[in-house]
Amino acid sequence: MSITAIKGLQSEIFVPVTPPPVWTPATKPLKDAVVAIATAAGVHLKTDKRFNLAGDFSFRKIPGDVKGEELMVSHGGYDNGDVNKDINCMFPIERLQEIAKEGFIKAVAPTHIGFMGGGGDQDKFTHETGPEIAKILKDEGVDYALLTAG
Amino acid sequence: MIVQRAIEAAGIPTIIIAALPPVVRQNGTPRAVAPRVPMGANAGAPHDKEMQTAIVKAALEELLKISSAGQIVPLPYEYTAKV
Repeated sequence: MSITAIKGLQSEIFVPVTPPPVWTPATKPLKDAVVAIATAAGVHLKTDKRFNLAGDFSFRKIPGDVKGEELMVSHGGYDNGDVNKDINCMFPIERLQEIAKEGFIKAVAPTHIGFMGGGGDQDKFTHETGPEIAKILKDEGVDYALLTAG
Repeated sequence: MIVQRAIEAAGIPTIIIAALPPVVRQNGTPRAVAPRVPMGANAGAPHDKEMQTAIVKAALEELLKISSAGQIVPLPYEYTAKV
């Protein structure tokens, strides 16, 4: 007996669907690992182009030896009050530099990524921006990625 | 989350520091930690080096400890923004 009375019937209400799991096992000890940060918080160099607050699927590269004061945020989707005081609230690059120095991790990756999450063209993020960011990190030998968003 | 999933899919293990655990669960995060923080201070209170360091270290430790996709580990650090 089939429990489907009418085939192909769809809800008129948008229902978010959780995508299937993705998983890469983490085996390398932290002290041997190169770590990169990728943030959806709209972080970028002050000298770089701001994000379009109405929706932007582009991303900005941030060098690993950057100082917090060289960075800023352009993101219209959350209260920027804390991150304007201290960029490490969303992009803890200075904390990462410190724990690399003390040997907790092996090294800070040469390139980190800022983009503007919480909206924008989801299709572009899935098929272009996401894979492009992943390729940069992969090509630079990043072992682990730390993200902030949501 | 889309970007986290793309990095994970490319073969780099990832973890996200999330202020909104239900959102990252819904969107299929591979691994997450959730300190008690408002969105916008996911890695801890402004200028609180001690809290930020603890959150970053705990996130990286959980990256190695979490054994299967979709787990969200609460972290015992709390910050309430004064609005």
